[in-house]
This record gives sequence, C-alpha cells and structure tokens, in this order.
Amino acid sequence: MSSTSLRPCGDFRTTYKADQSLFPTKWIFRWSVIGLLVLLCSPLLVDEYIISLFILIGIYGIAALGLNVLVGMTGQISLGHSAFFGFGAFSSAWLNTTTEIPVLITIPLAGLMTTAVGLIFGIPAARIKGLYLAIATLASQFILEDFFARANWFTGGSSGSVAETAMFFGIPLDTDIRFFYLVLFWTVVSCIAVANLKRSRDGRALVAVRDHYLSAEIMGINLTKYRILAFGISSFFAGLGGALFGHYLGYVSAEGFTIILSIQFLAMIIIGGLGSVPGAIMGAIFIVLLPEVMEALVSLLINSAPIFSGLESGKAYIKEMSIGAAIILFLIFEPDGLAHRCGQIRKSIKLYPFSY
Amino acid sequence: MKSIVKLAAGVAVASLGVTTAKADSIFVGNLVDYTGPTAFVGKHYGPGIKDALDYINANGGISGTKIEYEQVDYAYKVPAAIATYKRWKSRKKMVALQGWGTGDTEALITFVAKDKIPVWSASYSGHLTDPTGKNPKTKKPAPYNFFYGPSYTDGCRALVQWAASDAKAKGIKDPKFVHTGDNHPYPNAPKEGCALYAKELGFKVLSPIVVPLKPGDFKAQCLTIKESGAQYAWIGNLGGSVISLLKSCNTVGTDVTYIANVWAGDHLTIKASGAKDFRFPSASPFWDSKAKGMGLIRKIHAAGSYDKSITPTHHYVRAICSVYYMKEAMEWAKANGGLTGENIKKGMYVKKDWVPVGLEEVCLPSTWSATDHRGTTVVSINKGSLVDGKAKIELETNVTLPRRDDWIGF
Repeated sequence: MSSTSLRPCGDFRTTYKADQSLFPTKWIFRWSVIGLLVLLCSPLLVDEYIISLFILIGIYGIAALGLNVLVGMTGQISLGHSAFFGFGAFSSAWLNTTTEIPVLITIPLAGLMTTAVGLIFGIPAARIKGLYLAIATLASQFILEDFFARANWFTGGSSGSVAETAMFFGIPLDTDIRFFYLVLFWTVVSCIAVANLKRSRDGRALVAVRDHYLSAEIMGINLTKYRILAFGISSFFAGLGGALFGHYLGYVSAEGFTIILSIQFLAMIIIGGLGSVPGAIMGAIFIVLLPEVMEALVSLLINSAPIFSGLESGKAYIKEMSIGAAIILFLIFEPDGLAHRCGQIRKSIKLYPFSY
Repeated sequence: MKSIVKLAAGVAVASLGVTTAKADSIFVGNLVDYTGPTAFVGKHYGPGIKDALDYINANGGISGTKIEYEQVDYAYKVPAAIATYKRWKSRKKMVALQGWGTGDTEALITFVAKDKIPVWSASYSGHLTDPTGKNPKTKKPAPYNFFYGPSYTDGCRALVQWAASDAKAKGIKDPKFVHTGDNHPYPNAPKEGCALYAKELGFKVLSPIVVPLKPGDFKAQCLTIKESGAQYAWIGNLGGSVISLLKSCNTVGTDVTYIANVWAGDHLTIKASGAKDFRFPSASPFWDSKAKGMGLIRKIHAAGSYDKSITPTHHYVRAICSVYYMKEAMEWAKANGGLTGENIKKGMYVKKDWVPVGLEEVCLPSTWSATDHRGTTVVSINKGSLVDGKAKIELETNVTLPRRDDWIGF
C-alpha cells in the first residue's frame, strides 16, 4: 500500500485509523481536489461532445463500481449486471411518472428498488459459486430482459418508456452540461462510498469471503449474509447508474440492457483493476473511449491512403472487435488492470533512480 | 518515436478535436443498420441514401450548398442511436436526419422536436404521423417526423382490405386473421391499429404469435398458426426471420395466405424462402420497371458506390425518394429564410400531391401538412412467388385508404 502512495521516507503510521486514511498523503488529497476542480470547470474547457463522453464514463463508472464490489471485493461473479442497470433505469422512470416524485429523488430510490431485486437474485449465491453462480446470474439477465419486454405497466413493453427530465430547483437538467454536474455528484459520492466500504468491517468481511471462504467462516463471518449483501450493494450502484442513464437519454428501451453490456461491465473492471475504486473508473474511461478512438483511428487511416478505403464497411466490426481484443490483451499482459499499472509507474517514479 | 507522437496527436485531434462546419455546407446525419437485426434490408436502404446524397452533391448540392453527411451503423441499438444523435447535434450542427428503425425513431421524437431537427425515417410506424397529438391515442406528438410511403398500419390495413375481398371471393365465412412478429417496436407498430380494422371488416382476430426477429427454426410457431385455423397471417418481421418462418411453415404444411409488411417482401426474401403467392405492399417500382423516373434512379446507381453485382431492391429506390423529398424541402428552405431545421420542416408543407423532380412515376404523389404527416395512403399490393428458381413479383392491385381522423398517429 505504502509503495504506491508516494509516502515520503520516515512517514510512519502509528494507528490503524491513520493507515486506513482515504487519502494516504497530503499530495494525493491535493491532487484529488485539483482533479475535481478541473472537472467542475470542464464545461468551460471542452465542448458538449466531450462532456457527453464524461457523462457516459461517470454513469458506467458507477455501475462498474458496483460490479467491482461483487466481483473484485467478494470474489463472486455476475453476468447479469446490465439487467440490474436496466432495472434501475425503468424503476426511476416508472416511479417518476406514476408517483410524480421528482427525478432527483427517484434516482436514488431506483437504486434501492434495484437493491431489493439484486438481493432476491443474489439468494442462489448463498448456495452456489463459480461457474454455477455465473449461469444463475446469466438466468437473471434473461429473466429481467424478458420482463422488460413484457411488463407494459412498468416498462412500456417493447416500445420502452419516456424518462422525464430531472429538475433542480426549477432548472431543467436538459443539456449535457447541466446533467454532467448531476452525474459528477453521484460519481464522487459512489467512489467515496465504495472506498469507505473497503475500509469498514463489512468491507473487510467481503474481502475475507473472496480470499478464502472457509477461513472467513471459521473467523465467524456469516457467508450467506455477506454473499447476498454483496449482490445487494452491487445492484444499488447498478440501479443508480441505470437511473442516471435513463434520464440522460430521456428514453428507456429494453433493447439497451443486453448480455453484451453485462460483458462490457466485466471488461471495465478487468481492464481497470479488480477490487480497485479508481480501477473501475479507469475501466469505464477505457471502454467508453476505445470505440471513439478506434473510429477516429480508422477514419484517419481511410483518409490517409486509398489502400485503407476498404476499412469503411468494417468500421462497426473494428469497434466491436477492439473491445474483445482489449480484454484478451489485458488478461494476458496486464491481469491486474490499469490501476495496478498506475501503481507500478508511481512506484518506479518514487524509487528512481535507485530501483531495486 | 516522432511518428508515434504524430499518430497519437492525429488520433487525439480526430477523436476529440473540433469539427469546423464550412459556410457553404450543412450536415445531415444518417443512421444505418448494416450489422444488426434489420441489416437484411438495411444493407440495401443505406446505400440508397448514400448514393442519393453523393449524386446531389455532385450535381450542385442544395442550390449550391453541399450536404456533408455521416453514416453510422448503430446495429439497431437504441442507446447507440441516441448517443450518435447527441454527438451530431452538438458537434456537427446537424440540420436534418435520415433515420432508420422504429425503436430509435420513436425514442428520438422528443429530442428532435425540442432541437427542431426534421427526420426522414425508414420506419413507417403509424405513431409518427400525428404532428399535433390530435388523436387521443397518440402518446407523443411527432411534429418533426416524416417518412416516405404509407405507414406500417396503413400497409397492413390495405392488405386486410384485400384479404376481406379475397375471403369473400373464396367463400370463406368468418375469416380469421393472426399477427406474427417479434415483441419488438418494429413488428408491434401496426399490431393494434390493423387488428381493429380487421375486426371492422368482419375478421376474427386471433391472439398474436411471437416469432423472433432473428432467424431460427419456427416449426412450433407454424404449428400454432396451423392449429389456430387462421386463413390470413400477417408477417411483421423481415429478412432471415421471414425466410425461416415461411420455410418452417412449408414443412409443417400450413394452409394460410401470408400477407406481410413492406420490409418483409422483396426478391431476395421470395427467392430464399421459396414463397408462393406471398402478398406484400410497396411504395415504389422494382428495378426492372420502365417508369419515367427510373432513369434518374439508374443514373444515381451508376454514379454511386453501391455494389454493382447486386440488383437493387425496391428498398434502395425508396431510400432515394426519402432523400429527394428532403432535398426539395431544403431547396425551399434555402430560398425562404435559410437552411434551418424549422424552415426545412416548413418546406415539407408547401407542395401538394408532390413528386420530386425527375422521379415521376417512381415516388408516389405525397402531401404533408402541419396537422397530418401521412404523406400517402396509396398502397400497392404485390404478389410474389418463386417460379423456376426466380422470384416473380406482380402488382395485384392499388388500394387507396381514406384519411380517417381516428387513424392518424395510429
């Protein structure tokens, strides 16, 4: 831990509390504040398209954080995360239109509704694990997808439902810039919440379940409780992200929450780093930007020489394939993810020129 | 190292950089499905849009203004379509959109109305025809949505009307009608409106049968059709799914007359499925037609980049009509206040019974008004069969439906 925090020599921790600080050094705290200030000012620096990418990164990042609690911290697997993401989107739209509760409140409420659903679908986790659990969560994906297409009262059926614009004290959050601040708020809150969870007694119990379930049980950790709890927490963040997604697009469609998105969430945490809070956000950045960069790269190649003109028809394939290729390459060359790589870079800077 | 830096800089500029709109050009977005569930017909419609836009640009553009455009294959993923729309709106200053599917077009209704961006979709969902919310059943008024041709519901109504007279001629008492299609916005669009009209004409309307949009073995669905005793089955899907359904039903041995949506009938589907007396609507001539305006269609095709080894379907022709209506509305807008989305929309209302110049006998005379976006209610009904290994398509009749108030937006 200390090796990645650029902690100066001689800066020793004498209490557990000090060792568990959210910001291990003053500079990490300062850089976090500077980063946040830059993000707050970013609408002045970049155009709306970049802001829309930030919004997607924030939304997917929140959902990926949830999946990281389940997979990275607790060592369970879920192939149904996008269904919970979708459930959050539909829940918020449904709550708002049927009860007229303001959107800003239905967003966290949708997270709670999704938590309830996640706890139910998490029950099998108390009894099964590994491949069996993966298939059970896959079943939850299919059950919820079918539910979305049929439950007209809740989702609008195959036609989808309209998600109203969020209002902040009479100001409609109907532009990308305004909505960006809402997403930024929830992203920061979610990151702090998960980072705190990692430091808490329950968080350590989840890690113990991941590291060795038998030892954890012998230590007195209730395996059933914590395995199901992990599903609940994970679903909360999926629902929260989904609700933001629904109100951002203004429309929720059953087609948007397929197994492909579930796999993309898994890709985010693998690429970013299992169990790491910044890793989940880094993974979301990678997955959101990769297709954009690939499109730009292919366009550049097509425009640069006639020999590449044949790539025009294959653009869509290249974008899809690049995500798959990235997952494979990360699994082979960087299994600990981008967060680990960043740690390595920081460590080498700290030790330079006397690395050993 | 320098080349890597240059390449990285290039990528960064291209992906994050600023798009500068030229003063003498406007931007039109084009959503296409080349890899998703509707790609079977998307691969023929999309090139029609591209070739038409290229031809317009090569021949003076919009009274001198060039149309910049971008085709994005969104694979019928509604969120991807919305994200692309947002990018075009904020980055490219889009003034108009050539859209595609029912799911994304219906999802974009509110956005395009707010942003004042007219859309010519390849979805002919009846929900898009009510610009003011006149019909109490209209969920969302669609003031900026247009499409060329009869709506899906009107296409289905015309075929139901034909089926009623066919049943009478065959002496079928109390004929039965069944809707088949996926639980998906596109096949569902005409379900309710068409079933109501079928009831009006004396049909017994059976429970719809869900047939996936992806191809597969549909013998179970065919057995259900057979057991239901339906004489007329509406096919709401397209492409591979229709081929699979017709083949499966041939194996099962159903005695049903299949009537279908405009995207479900073309040479490719008839040939691949071995269809017999398969009825489907159209709104433009087929490639071998000698219609007056086919000269321009062939010129556009010859100059375009569409694969010349493939005979264009009527979907390709319809795409050109869609672009040319947009072109003439833009020409009016340019002469009357400028090329803004709002003006282009006004340009759609100026002419009555209107056929774009050069496309006579190809595009049906159409009229759009501020209160009614049903361009045309004339439906050509075709009969297609596989004869000696070739798809044979004959025009059976033209049905002109009334513009009933209770049918608008429905």
